[in-house]
Amino acid sequence: MPYEINDLQSSAAPDHPGADLPLANAGHSLHLWPYQSLPRTGFVWFIGITAALISLPLITLLGSPILWGLLPFLLLAIAGLWWALQRNYRDGDIIEHLTIRPDSMTLVRKGPHGKHAEWDANPYWVTPVLHPTGGPVPNYVTLRGGSREVELGAFLSEAERIALYGEVGEILRQIR
Amino acid sequence: MADAAIHGTDHDQRGFFTRWFMSTNHKDIGILYLFTGAFVGFISVLFTVYMRLELMNPGVQYMCEEGMRLTAAAASECTPNGHLWNVLITGHGILMMFFVVIPALFGGFGNYFMPLQIGAPDMAFPRMNNLSYWMFVAGTGLAIASVFSPGGEGGMGSGVGWVLYPPLSTRESGYSMDLAIFAVHLSGASSILGAINMITTFLNMRTPGMTMHKVPLFAWSIFVTAWLILLALPVLAGAITMLLTDRNFGTTFFDPEGGGDPILYQHILWFFGHPEVYIIVLPAFGIISQVIATFSKKPIFGYLPMVYAMVAIGVLGFVVWAHHMYTVGMSLTLQSYFMLATMVIAVPTGIKIFSWIATMWGGSIELKTPMLWAFGFLFLFTVGGVTGIVLSQAGVDRVYHDTYYVVAHFHYVMSLGAVFGIFAGIYFWFGKMSGREYPEWAGKLHFYTMFIGANLTFFPQHFLGRQGMPRRYIDYPEAFAYWNKISSYGAFLSFASFVFFIGVMAYSLRYGRKITVNNYWNEYADTLEWTLPCPPPEHTFEQLPKRADWDKSHAH
Repeated sequence: MPYEINDLQSSAAPDHPGADLPLANAGHSLHLWPYQSLPRTGFVWFIGITAALISLPLITLLGSPILWGLLPFLLLAIAGLWWALQRNYRDGDIIEHLTIRPDSMTLVRKGPHGKHAEWDANPYWVTPVLHPTGGPVPNYVTLRGGSREVELGAFLSEAERIALYGEVGEILRQIR
Repeated sequence: MADAAIHGTDHDQRGFFTRWFMSTNHKDIGILYLFTGAFVGFISVLFTVYMRLELMNPGVQYMCEEGMRLTAAAASECTPNGHLWNVLITGHGILMMFFVVIPALFGGFGNYFMPLQIGAPDMAFPRMNNLSYWMFVAGTGLAIASVFSPGGEGGMGSGVGWVLYPPLSTRESGYSMDLAIFAVHLSGASSILGAINMITTFLNMRTPGMTMHKVPLFAWSIFVTAWLILLALPVLAGAITMLLTDRNFGTTFFDPEGGGDPILYQHILWFFGHPEVYIIVLPAFGIISQVIATFSKKPIFGYLPMVYAMVAIGVLGFVVWAHHMYTVGMSLTLQSYFMLATMVIAVPTGIKIFSWIATMWGGSIELKTPMLWAFGFLFLFTVGGVTGIVLSQAGVDRVYHDTYYVVAHFHYVMSLGAVFGIFAGIYFWFGKMSGREYPEWAGKLHFYTMFIGANLTFFPQHFLGRQGMPRRYIDYPEAFAYWNKISSYGAFLSFASFVFFIGVMAYSLRYGRKITVNNYWNEYADTLEWTLPCPPPEHTFEQLPKRADWDKSHAH
């Protein structure tokens, strides 16, 4: 599931026995990111196997000058593949971070390629809105109530957006 | 963050030039590849018709030093023009290997349907996709220019065979050879960029929940093909670059006078060349799997063995290259190894053939046009596979090496196997791509004429090979006349069916009945492209598809 909700209190657990317990219900933190189907270990395996197989013809050429004629092309191919997969990771490197506290609410969106945007509002005035149609995607989720209306998790799947809408609404109700 | 965007619909407002010349849309680029591949295919087929015309009777009637002729009337003296013949076989080989089959299957169907089947909105790098296509077009231009520029024997074009063996290729005069090498370079670069694009798309852009073991077989076949291209084509690029420096800058990579080794070129070439065979035929495997499952109305038998058979064929393809060159004087141990490794490929191939048969077993088979082509593929590919086992025997190959038996073998597996796969794909997806129906009778007529024509062309070549007729010659003794004549009749019938096919396509694109449903076959055509309208809109799967649309309970 490319989003997760954490209670802020759990991350601020007492670091030594006897310390004051943090305020209950200090707030919630949401992370959302687009799905990418290749895990990092998959990347390593794929590059590894490809590099092993592509160097096979070099064995025949050991000790021959032809090896040096061939090697640059093989390295270029591996480098190209490496670059392409990394670039694709970076293209999808978007994270939306929504923090909801009783008195303030911020949404930070990072990426892709160093883009950065922020939004904040008072949660008292914020309503999540679900647009079943009319948005760029069906069941488009936006937050209304700050200086401008912003989208949330447009890259999630449809079922995930509907679930997200319910959960954000629930958090906002609790926190007021 | 994106401010909220709530707006209306988006219409396709691109003009003709913008849409087709500056396209970054994977579906449009796929269609461009198919049309260009068909055009180059037509040129390449014209070459073969002219060659079969020449081979129809012993003696040289058409390819004369005095000029090319189109009739056999003995109007004047005819001195055989062997160089013209050599140029035609070289051109046919290079065009078919690099500029017809890979662009049609991998560039065309791969571009169009692989992203659709995995639920991706487009390729990972749409602009690089456009670059790949135009490099392929530029390469085609160079290849055709090479035929018309000054070459060896004081004639036009170079006639060294598509494998470009030195010293033939390094000593061919004129710049035609250099143009041909540049053409292969461009086509190779185009394929490698395309392959990197496909691999990235397939690995990282699958829809959530679609694990590697749930990807449809056609998308899998494109992935394995892309991987083989990435592994094999840089080797070819390196080899022909060294040819180029040997020709122009006085290096001696492949020249024994300077300490080089021409046999090493053959090793490198076939290290690329054997995987190339699978690069050509694997996407056809994918298409045939989809077609057979659809028209047997059963999910494919043994999905996982099918996937791993493709991967195994790909990997094994890299360790058998020297079976193309048993006669160069390798040690007995080396020959035994290559012989055994080659025979091992029959195992994964057998898994695929038997799984296709098991898919049909007990199914409710419907003999629509794509299914007929799939049957044709199964038959022809199996025949070619069996002669392949014969040729893999190092001892037997001593006799068959460079005879028409080899010609028959590789045309059965590659040209007929891959070409029947292309036609199966075209008839299977024609409605999806164009939104129109083709006349069913016409598709069937095309199939039957092509099937008979192709077998008539190539089956007799087994006999010619067994009689000892060598390949790559413009003329032959009287004794080979009988089967050559029949082979030529077959070629003319196949060519007629190809021309008929072009007519069918032209008619169907303009006047075919419009298709209004998304899935015009049946519920066993269950990959994601069948949830879209015919033809699909410009933008597809910009939102993730619903899991229920692709994860069918009855599948796999």
